[in-house]
Amino acid sequence: MHIPDGFLDPWIAGLFWLGSGVAIGLAVRRARGELGDERTPLLGIVAAAVFAAQMLNWPIPGGTSAHFVGGAFAGILLGPYLGILAMTSVVTIQALVFGDGGIIALGGNLFAMAVVDVLVGYALFRAFRGVNETGAAFLAGWGAITVSALVVGVGVGLSSAFAYEVGVTVSIMGVGHAVLGLIEGAITAAVYGYVASARPDLVLGRFQESALSPEVGL
Amino acid sequence: MNAVSTEPWVRRALLGLLVLVVLAPLFGWAAGTVGYAEPLENAAEETGAADAASQLNAGVLPDYSVPGLGSSLGTAVSAAVGTGLTLAVCLGLGRLLAQ
Repeated sequence: MHIPDGFLDPWIAGLFWLGSGVAIGLAVRRARGELGDERTPLLGIVAAAVFAAQMLNWPIPGGTSAHFVGGAFAGILLGPYLGILAMTSVVTIQALVFGDGGIIALGGNLFAMAVVDVLVGYALFRAFRGVNETGAAFLAGWGAITVSALVVGVGVGLSSAFAYEVGVTVSIMGVGHAVLGLIEGAITAAVYGYVASARPDLVLGRFQESALSPEVGL
Repeated sequence: MNAVSTEPWVRRALLGLLVLVVLAPLFGWAAGTVGYAEPLENAAEETGAADAASQLNAGVLPDYSVPGLGSSLGTAVSAAVGTGLTLAVCLGLGRLLAQ
């Protein structure tokens, strides 16, 4: 769902930059107290794993395909602040080094994949992990990618390039990623389950008690 | 980096990263054979926005390829470089913010 340059009207691109700038700035401030000998390598490895996993395009014959995005996964494993930093690094490197996603549109891509995907995923996981942890991880992966896709759908739909057909863009993005999100949720739940059983102490999103409303950044 | 590489979970995780990097060209080839199209591209087709996309910055490794290298090899190099770079940037960022 990387937005290329030329898709967003300038004022929308600007709003996205503002939103992601505020959220990332807050994440940097909060992350200062959270990093240490064990968490810094975890930040690096989760971010690198998300980058590598995003390169694996799922071949779905005859239809719409996608790849793992991983914001919810990063949010669950790292907590919201380090999760935002990990995804910010991935999305920025993709845009600068690989031309994946635009430069002017980078604010929009950061907002969708590094802010909304992380925060919604983290919030869903926190809200439902009391019911069932694996189920909560699945719901986080699925729900977060769907909400992120809706945000992108609104952003491009309000732009002139898409003829202001916001209904069309929102439904294509929402339905498309709600279906593909089932795979996102399954991968999130599977890897979460593995890490949580092998090294439960590394699942930082479990312990963080800092209250964070899912509306932040939305 | 010393403290990082001695931790058993870190070594296992790095091995996992290597597996993902090796898988990248395979998935790239498979996605290429079935025709890869994301919902955003479909939405752009539907509303006539497809031609509006412009490339302001192609990047050093445009679209995860290495100019002059074959597509599978280019994807493998891109996966290795990108994964390593992301790891290095985040380790650096983590150190910087921990101070």
